[in-house]
Amino acid sequence: MNFRIEKKLLPLVLISLLFACEEKMTQGEIVQIGIASCRTVAPFIRKMDFDPKRTGFSSSEPNIKGIVLVQFPDDPGDTLNKKTWQDPTWGQYGWMGGIATDNKGNAYTAPVPKVNIFDTPLSRMNRIYKIDSDTGKMDLACTLPAADTSQGVVPYAVLGIYYDCHGSKLYASTVAGSTRDEEKGAIYAIDPQTWKIVDKLEGVDAMAVFVGGITGEKRLFYGSARGSAVHSVELTKSGRFRGKARFEFTIDQLGPRGDDKVRRLRLDPNGNMVVTGAEFNYSLAIQSHRIEDAYVFGYDRTQNQWVRLKP
Amino acid sequence: MYSTYPAGSFPFRFPICHLALLSLLLFWSCNGKRQEDASRETQKELVKTSVLADDTPPISGPLIEKRRAKIDSALLSRLPLILLEGVGIPETEAQKLAVENTLFTKNLLEEGTGKPYLNEIFNVYKARPQEVPQGVAYGNVYRVEMYNFGLNLTTVALVDLTTRKVMAVNELVQTQPDIPLHLKDMALYIAVNSPEVSRALGYQPGESEALMANTKTALNNTRCEQSLHLCVAPTFVQQEKALWAIVDLTELRLVGVRWTHVGDPGPEDKRISERNLRYDKIMECFCNQVTSLKKEGWELNYVLTSSDGMRISEVNYRGEPVISNAKIVDWHVSYSNTDGFGYSDAVGCPEFSQAAVLAVTEPRIVDIIENGTKKGFALEQTFNSKQWPMPCQYNYLQRFEFYHDGRFRIAGASLGRGCGNNGTYRPVTRIALYGSQNTVYEWGASGWDTWKKEQWKLQDSRTKYTPEGYQYRIAGTDGKGYYLEPGQGQFSDGGRGDNAYLFATKLHPDIDEGESDLVSIGPCCNNDYRQGPEKFIGPDPEDIEKQAIVLWYVAQIKNDDTKGSEYCWAESYLEDGIYKTRSFPCMSGPMFVPIGYQQPIALKSPK
Repeated sequence: MNFRIEKKLLPLVLISLLFACEEKMTQGEIVQIGIASCRTVAPFIRKMDFDPKRTGFSSSEPNIKGIVLVQFPDDPGDTLNKKTWQDPTWGQYGWMGGIATDNKGNAYTAPVPKVNIFDTPLSRMNRIYKIDSDTGKMDLACTLPAADTSQGVVPYAVLGIYYDCHGSKLYASTVAGSTRDEEKGAIYAIDPQTWKIVDKLEGVDAMAVFVGGITGEKRLFYGSARGSAVHSVELTKSGRFRGKARFEFTIDQLGPRGDDKVRRLRLDPNGNMVVTGAEFNYSLAIQSHRIEDAYVFGYDRTQNQWVRLKP
Repeated sequence: MYSTYPAGSFPFRFPICHLALLSLLLFWSCNGKRQEDASRETQKELVKTSVLADDTPPISGPLIEKRRAKIDSALLSRLPLILLEGVGIPETEAQKLAVENTLFTKNLLEEGTGKPYLNEIFNVYKARPQEVPQGVAYGNVYRVEMYNFGLNLTTVALVDLTTRKVMAVNELVQTQPDIPLHLKDMALYIAVNSPEVSRALGYQPGESEALMANTKTALNNTRCEQSLHLCVAPTFVQQEKALWAIVDLTELRLVGVRWTHVGDPGPEDKRISERNLRYDKIMECFCNQVTSLKKEGWELNYVLTSSDGMRISEVNYRGEPVISNAKIVDWHVSYSNTDGFGYSDAVGCPEFSQAAVLAVTEPRIVDIIENGTKKGFALEQTFNSKQWPMPCQYNYLQRFEFYHDGRFRIAGASLGRGCGNNGTYRPVTRIALYGSQNTVYEWGASGWDTWKKEQWKLQDSRTKYTPEGYQYRIAGTDGKGYYLEPGQGQFSDGGRGDNAYLFATKLHPDIDEGESDLVSIGPCCNNDYRQGPEKFIGPDPEDIEKQAIVLWYVAQIKNDDTKGSEYCWAESYLEDGIYKTRSFPCMSGPMFVPIGYQQPIALKSPK
């Protein structure tokens, strides 16, 4: 039998076959994505004299390079009783940015420059490090595809990192290789078991990345590093990208500065999107203290649109 | 009809009509890309025509005078507050009750000094249902909004006229309420009377649409993210373009103007604000293109770099090449009470750069006046942190001086304020002079000693100078060249001496040792010669006699916050109800004096 398929239809057929293999998700399952947390405290922390309920990783402790374990005081204003601890391996790779943790307590992070790139040159920035939940040791987990490091490219690489418990994928957004005129960043979907990149979304400079299902679809939401908008792209159950990205909402003209970029996205227990915005202009300008503001958006499922709740 | 192509495992058939469709799609796609590129280029051209009004004196006029008189009067009163006028009886009553409330007036004066802030009631109106606390009938509740210009703070009171009580007071930090009508008029008045606006439009616009039938005006919201002042943007529409005039109502002055194309602003479209007015102008005009300057016998090019500040190059004096290029590659700041604490600051372009301290103003060309006589000109560029002069915020000045007599100086200053009063600033200046046969000589006990190899030297108490104050001579085989006169406090610019390291390294045309942008050359906090240039000397110093040479000049300046002798310092002070900045620059940098210079400078006593 002469089996013939139009060649131009081949990708379509293959994609359809691929998605046909994806298990279907129920609406009840989808809406809980990003709300129900799977994160657990790492076993090595449980063995320490730290209260797991108020302990977390931090990459923004003053004058401490790398990652720090912090036990926050009961009273947030009581800075004297803030307890910190750092394993020797946590500071050896320079300053770090966002931190994501998974369902076993492993933590993932990536380098960011602070004031200058003296500690972490561009060639060593496009990487992901892992703190093992059992040993507590930090080591290189993954080197993202090499990007242009010639003059004129931005002095940043990974800006956003998020672990999706539902699809067991790690999402990392990188702007490595981008220039003022060309948006060359990418969002990678990574399998943290094999450290293989399972999918990628190219041509996107994103800061915050987050997976949620509040709109009725499993979607990866991402805040642009170049503007104040949040976009999203649909995900399959296993966490691959499906279809085209779409605009969700913007924080343009909101807050004290009016041109914040979305640094962090999370769903609160009520399903509202809590957006953290901060200034970002692809320079290494520092501020004496971290200035961020929170914005809250709710999703109106009858109108299929976001409604600003705060401010 | 099909055209058949060679088949692989799947026979590949491609209809000709599909080919035509594909071509059409490709055409649209390419055309769309071309249109996008063209639009981007047009936007860039519009950006280049924008104007920053930093050096323009504020306009005057009767409305401004009236406003200033009102401010003066308010600042002298017990409650430094401008009340909202022309409102009804209930609004007046609500306003009165609000200002009698101590919580509402808590921030009228500066804590500690008791100096008045400029405060003004912007709005009083019947509260909307959603603004009234639950359980309270909203009919007689008024909302009073007060703005504090000094703190950029909005205070809101909810006043119940039935009970004659203030029900709630709420402070909104870094927030600005809608502006009242008289401030809208003021913004428009400043815009239409600013020469930058008239120049951009080609005529002086009227203050209302009725006066100028062909110009529509609108008052857009905008932000002054740098200054955190109250700003609005009167916008003048001319055919397909709109001129945004950003007006600072805190200082009553124009910030700048910028043309945009008129279109339906989508959710992602960028509005014009102080920040993008500044950043886009600086990026397009000074970071992405080189500016040529020809003035008073001097010719040079300059550009703002990603991390090496302003770079001058191809400097000629009366047709003779002088400097290949010069720049400050890093500012190292260390603090003596904390070991290893400090910053290695790169300065440069405001975005998409490796700069930690940013250029937010345009380069300036200013006259050099000595004893009332013009002696030359200086090219200046400042770089500053957004929150300067708050603690741990920085401001640097780069200044290139060019004199009528052929002297030039490559200078820099910190304008404070930094993280403490025990800081040492070390600007790392790289100077590549013209010439491939240069030799460095140092003044010593027996005259000029030749530097045969790459090396460095510290200017300290044992340093010997010629009677004119020269420490080095850099000359070619023809004897032409320059004396290097380090700072000893003799330049009448407040500088107290440089205590500088001078490094001389061989210029390698085939190795980039700082010709292009250098990322941080060294760590912040070495207190000795290890400031970065030493890495280009290495363990086996090269011969630099009769060679192309790079000079690295690293001044070392200690800051001081002692009252009356501040140095590398800055402070905020409250004046006319708003915060202003006072800075105490610490200038450093060497003067280059042509060999054979006929009028040697008498060495003045260091201050």
